[in-house]
Amino acid sequence: MTKNATAKQHIKQSRTDRLFSGLNMAFWVLVLALTLYPLWVILIASVSDPDAILAGRVLFWPENFSLIGYQAVFRHKELWNSYLNAIIYTLGGTLLSVSVTMMTAYALSRRFFGKKAVNFLFVFTMFFTGGLIPIFLNVRDLGLYNTRTILILINGVSVWNLMVARTFLQSTLPNELYEAAVIDGANHFSYFFRIVLPLSGTIIAVLSVYYGVAKWNDYFSALVFIRDRAKLPLQTVLREIIATLTTSTSSESFFSAYADDIKGMTDAMRQAAVAKYCTIVVSTGPAVLLYLFMQKYFVKGVMIGSLKG
Amino acid sequence: MPANDFRIQPPRGARRSLTRMRQWLARDWQIYVLLVPAVAYFIIFHYLPMYGVQIAFRQYRFVDGITGSRFVGLKHFRDFFGTYYAGRLLSNTFLLNLYGLLWGFPIPVVLAILLNQLRRERFKKFTQTAIYVPHFISTAVIAGMLYLFLSPTSGIVNYMITALGGKPINFMLESSWFRTLFIASDIWQHAGWNTILYLAALTAIDPEIYEAATIDGASTRQKIFYIDIPYLVPIMVMVFILNTGGLLSSNTDKALLMQTSGNMATSDIIGVYVYTMGLQSGQFSYTAAIGLFVNLINFFMIISVNWIARRLGETSLF
Repeated sequence: MTKNATAKQHIKQSRTDRLFSGLNMAFWVLVLALTLYPLWVILIASVSDPDAILAGRVLFWPENFSLIGYQAVFRHKELWNSYLNAIIYTLGGTLLSVSVTMMTAYALSRRFFGKKAVNFLFVFTMFFTGGLIPIFLNVRDLGLYNTRTILILINGVSVWNLMVARTFLQSTLPNELYEAAVIDGANHFSYFFRIVLPLSGTIIAVLSVYYGVAKWNDYFSALVFIRDRAKLPLQTVLREIIATLTTSTSSESFFSAYADDIKGMTDAMRQAAVAKYCTIVVSTGPAVLLYLFMQKYFVKGVMIGSLKG
Repeated sequence: MPANDFRIQPPRGARRSLTRMRQWLARDWQIYVLLVPAVAYFIIFHYLPMYGVQIAFRQYRFVDGITGSRFVGLKHFRDFFGTYYAGRLLSNTFLLNLYGLLWGFPIPVVLAILLNQLRRERFKKFTQTAIYVPHFISTAVIAGMLYLFLSPTSGIVNYMITALGGKPINFMLESSWFRTLFIASDIWQHAGWNTILYLAALTAIDPEIYEAATIDGASTRQKIFYIDIPYLVPIMVMVFILNTGGLLSSNTDKALLMQTSGNMATSDIIGVYVYTMGLQSGQFSYTAAIGLFVNLINFFMIISVNWIARRLGETSLF
């Protein structure tokens, strides 16, 4: 709504409407607090002193600023190896997924023989799947079990993203553009690469964030398809750290495995108390930052794509 | 026949379809090339497993392969319903999804309507950006946050409870808390994000409609009930239909993380059972049968709800 319209409305607001506006503001301040406070606590706990954390005293501001948690995390070799793995899977998977989705979305935005059948082939998988066990056996029979390839390929094309991208292309690129290009001698390939792709920055950004974040956050695929610890991505290793949290006595084992004497043990246990928070920051940071960085395109692109999903 | 119909009359019969096929190929072969990777992906990773689901009716052995294993009919289905677990698994899965739907479905609608009523543009933008953030956090981290915040010794929630004079609660080990925590954390994570569809519909409403309503003296409440909500109903129906197709599906990765020895009575859901019995104990055929049963129920549920929605004259999915 334009500024002018807002001003006009402001004059005409009745008392109950003003009351509603005020209450609505208050409601949203509360929602924002509930949304952001847990994230803030994670952030301040990651730079606090372990004793303050264990006593539950870190509430609003870092207590006795210290970086020993991050030191523990940076020294942890397996964590960094899994971090590198996650980057490989995410970059590889996203590049592949976005390319295939754009190609397919373009094809589905045109008219051709057999379009209905192809569409059905895709959409049907939204409503019926073989299930975890047949999928697992299928991957094993294909010889892809315990390979890095499967973590790049799995969940490669999402039907939902495909529909969002197709709707975007249909609503932003008029058919006249295609007809004009054809008159100038373009075919589907040259039209797609030289005209469609350069005009689709927004939707490519949206798809990259969708696919990229899903890949980065996926721990379950590696749990099912990977046996070698050296190939595990970050989230699956993170799951082990979290799994150790369930039993409160032996909870520090993941980080204290490297300690070799009693004093070292207590130090390692203190470190582990902070290191959990640091691990969360280090693993969540990239996804959230990517979103914040892209969010300008993001909201717009998602909205255009979802209007007629 | 309209005057501007320049189509050439094609030859009749079999020759006609052959000629047309050739015309299509000549004109659109590049389209088919662009479709090849996606079609291959869906056949290999979706339709091959659907073919492989037949192991639910066989006694799968690695040496015999999927099609070579002995046919046993409905044995695995009977076995499953004969166990003590079947009833508990089905009701746990169903109730978790039902309560999740009852809370998770209306909240984004309300949030979208209220967000749309915010008049300060910068505050609105900031709010919109902020409430999407939790959606980008991984399930593993969400579970980790639950364990950390709810820890009976060092968690801030229990810190507040004891500060107010209460007794600390070991949330993650109590089966009575599992569903509440599961659903509340889902809402914290996704309710903001799920407003996107509804906000898109609300921003697409012509501002003149609101202006006309204002001139006619409509209050904010009336605008919400007589303009906003009618515009949102078709999308709500769509989202609802999609959700009913998942009433027996499992959010396995999250439940697996939140399951502890203490909360099994409510946290044991079908997806987790299939994962542990199938992949960890190697009972492939038995768990494939359970998975197939659930998928079929979900499939028929979504078809029937869609059919009802169409009969009632509202929007339908297909």
